[in-house]
Amino acid sequence: MKILVLVKNVPEVAEAELEIDQGALDLEDLEMVVNEWDNYAVEEAVRITEASGGEVHLMTLGNEDDEDVLRRGLAMGAHAASHLCDEAFDGSDPATLARVIAAAVKDGGYDLILTGVQSADLGQASTGVLLAQELGLPHATMAIALEPGAGEVVVTRELENNTSEKVALPLPALVTVQSGINQPRYVSIMGIRKVRKMTIEQIEADDLGLAEESLGAAASMVDSQSLALPPMGEGAQMLEGGLDSVCDQAAAILREKGGLA
Amino acid sequence: MNPLRTPFWGVEWAWLFYLLAALALAALALGLWEKISLWAQGRRAAPVASHKHPLGAILADVFLGRRIWRGEASAGLMHLMLLWGFLGLFIGTCAVAVDHYLVSFLQGKIYLWFSAGLEVCGLLLVMGLLLALTRRWLLPVSRLERRPDDTLLPLWLLAVACGGFMVEAARLAASRPPWEDWSFVGYGLSGFFPSAQAARELFPWLWWAHAIISLGFIAWLPWSKLAHAIAAPASLYLQGQPLAVLAVAAEEGDLAALGLRHLLHLDACTRCGRCVEVCPAAQAGEPFSPRDLLRRARRQARLKYSPLYRLPWLRGRRQALLERDRAADWEVAWYCTTCRACLEVCPVQAAPIEMIRKLRAGLVEQGSTVPPQLMDVLEKLHRYGNPWLAKKGAKAGWAQGRDIPDLRKSGPEVDWLYFVGCTTSIDTRAQGMARALSDVFTHCGVSFGTLGKKEPCCGDIARRLGEQGLMEEQIEATQALLNKQGLTRIICTSPHCLDTIKKVHPLFTEEGLPLQVLHYSQMLHRLWQQGRLFFDHPLPLKVTYHDPCFLARHNRLVDEPRQLLRAIPGLELVEMADHGLNSLCCGGGGGRMWHEIPGQANLAVRRLEQAAATGAELVVTACPLCLIMLEDARKTGGFEDKFAIIDLSELAARALGLAATDREAETNP
Repeated sequence: MKILVLVKNVPEVAEAELEIDQGALDLEDLEMVVNEWDNYAVEEAVRITEASGGEVHLMTLGNEDDEDVLRRGLAMGAHAASHLCDEAFDGSDPATLARVIAAAVKDGGYDLILTGVQSADLGQASTGVLLAQELGLPHATMAIALEPGAGEVVVTRELENNTSEKVALPLPALVTVQSGINQPRYVSIMGIRKVRKMTIEQIEADDLGLAEESLGAAASMVDSQSLALPPMGEGAQMLEGGLDSVCDQAAAILREKGGLA
Repeated sequence: MNPLRTPFWGVEWAWLFYLLAALALAALALGLWEKISLWAQGRRAAPVASHKHPLGAILADVFLGRRIWRGEASAGLMHLMLLWGFLGLFIGTCAVAVDHYLVSFLQGKIYLWFSAGLEVCGLLLVMGLLLALTRRWLLPVSRLERRPDDTLLPLWLLAVACGGFMVEAARLAASRPPWEDWSFVGYGLSGFFPSAQAARELFPWLWWAHAIISLGFIAWLPWSKLAHAIAAPASLYLQGQPLAVLAVAAEEGDLAALGLRHLLHLDACTRCGRCVEVCPAAQAGEPFSPRDLLRRARRQARLKYSPLYRLPWLRGRRQALLERDRAADWEVAWYCTTCRACLEVCPVQAAPIEMIRKLRAGLVEQGSTVPPQLMDVLEKLHRYGNPWLAKKGAKAGWAQGRDIPDLRKSGPEVDWLYFVGCTTSIDTRAQGMARALSDVFTHCGVSFGTLGKKEPCCGDIARRLGEQGLMEEQIEATQALLNKQGLTRIICTSPHCLDTIKKVHPLFTEEGLPLQVLHYSQMLHRLWQQGRLFFDHPLPLKVTYHDPCFLARHNRLVDEPRQLLRAIPGLELVEMADHGLNSLCCGGGGGRMWHEIPGQANLAVRRLEQAAATGAELVVTACPLCLIMLEDARKTGGFEDKFAIIDLSELAARALGLAATDREAETNP
């Protein structure tokens, strides 16, 4: 089975102090990491090929530094990687990105295309399904289990309130992968060093035969207006005093607001 | 009449004996060949230096079994009797052979003394075996296992020794030579034969039984744990090998791919179980045992490299066994705290700390069985240079309000680099150590600076977790910084940083400046000796001192902290049951600080139970990891009314009247 996994490099923000600089996140002090959902997708693809053969291709769209996310995936066991890298792609909305990726993917002969459910930075959760639309493939989202079979893949989808749905898609198909589908493996420094010499296919806009006016912000229907940090709330109350006193005060407040029966 | 003994006296079919002996020797040779060919492969994998330990001490360890006597005299006595009984009989048998085939010398007085000597050796062997069986079955010593060969082997040897005496007794009873009382044991036993005739008739039967049992033993020897007779001296000889940077391929944690030294360690182990007895994880009831790890490693090495397992009909079995053992290793790889207690007590210096590191290195490379918490720690170490926060440049929070030179920016216009370390920089409890130390240094007029908010990680955690690549990157980055800034004199807060900077960093700095690395307790001790540190605030407290493993066992710093404590006026130092080189680990080493293993025991609580037994009102330690582990255990284990936990640095600040440190610690607990 030939599997393509789309991956994205995103800034890690969980514990960071964020700053907005000219309408964009200041990436200066932020570390770039593989998008969490994509990491699960890569792991799932590698496991499928480890169990029943085939190969895993990776693809990302991003700037030069984003090659790291491909190296990491190769170290996990992917077999090849392509990097869509061109300034002409900047400012694209998900539909435009999907067109670009579709142009790069359409002749690849992939049986299965996996993406993460969404990206951690913009969280639109739409590039994957738009790509399926562009390629005319059946798709399923929020996959928490994959069972590839002959000519089809059975996908367990996570729904609300602990329910799940099983769907069967004829191959080729596109599936967006939910976190928790597996436990992704650790990627060691040594592992990344070992794949340092693997060549990564570089793809620019010209290679895809796409007209410039169909790319980037000009072709996009969605335009980012502004980016803001959540305003600082005023609900916090600092308790002063020793440990016992702070505990008593906290208990009193909980009792007063009905938190303690 | 000239006293002598005629070999094959009263025995027919000597050719049959020679045939059996040839078979036994063939089995012996095959076993030795298997071992030697295995060791030879290990030598190719990782060459060893010649011995690094005083030869006299090694010989004493081998021939007196000094390390076996420690803590258990009956074990030492047993081993001494077995060793010398066995050795004497072996030499005696060789002498008989020389006498028979080469030069005849066993006659007259020499023969008489020779006979008496062999009687003594035989008795030593029998007593040693009886003591061994008593220790394993009657007392019994709890650390001793009871696998089939543990019982069969001494019983077999006992049959050899007693059989020898019986053959001798029958011969004496049948022939009654005038010098018979020199063979005093056989002479004593010869009385049991009713007549010379009966003895003469029984003699061939006894002789053949003794011959077959003895030859069987010879055939079994190299396949049994008695192979330690060769491997243990070699293992002792190779102790204390210098650390070396090995090629990546040689480090890939396959336990079967061990170097010569480790392969010898594996064969030197007799499963005595002293390691299990002192292992903090095993003793707390966790499913880990250094002994079992060694045994599996030995089996894996054999399965993978023994020429015998290349025989076609053993191949299938080989793969199944290898996979079973590897799976068992993976289960237990993360329990070890690398506390070194096992190596401290191992009579043959074979305990598996290095093997654990290799095992973990293999798991990290392979990736899919690394526990998620440890993946997170390794990711943080890689991206943010610390195991605690997903944030860069967070290492100077403790120093607020203190004017400490940042040596990343300025050159070495100070005498010392104070290397604070990840945990001491970031953990709120451990930060008290950094504040206390900087205040004490300032008070004593030590000129020092730090690497500020972007101090790199020294690589210790990556090392302990088997992330070789990350360790190398961190060491190289740290050394590049130290070199650039010309920093060579370093004081560490953590014994863990000390160990790695002192022992491993030099391997990566061929052209680097020679480093002088001290633990802070050494620095304080030095200041105290110079009269620059004078404790003028009496602390009338009863304290006990918890030796950090990486200070006491790994770096042999046991007296310095104690002398400092005793220098504090009014302070009374009492010792816990396990202290000094026998300290009991707090459970925070080997990466376990950052890793909760399902069903793990709280090792620190066990330690605090020992502390409570001393009646001390203060438990002092000298390591940020110990401090955090013990502080947590104090709260969760119900010791809050009994004592407080404090670091030596904080106690020193208190004894100097540097109260500001205390106040900060209280408001920022």
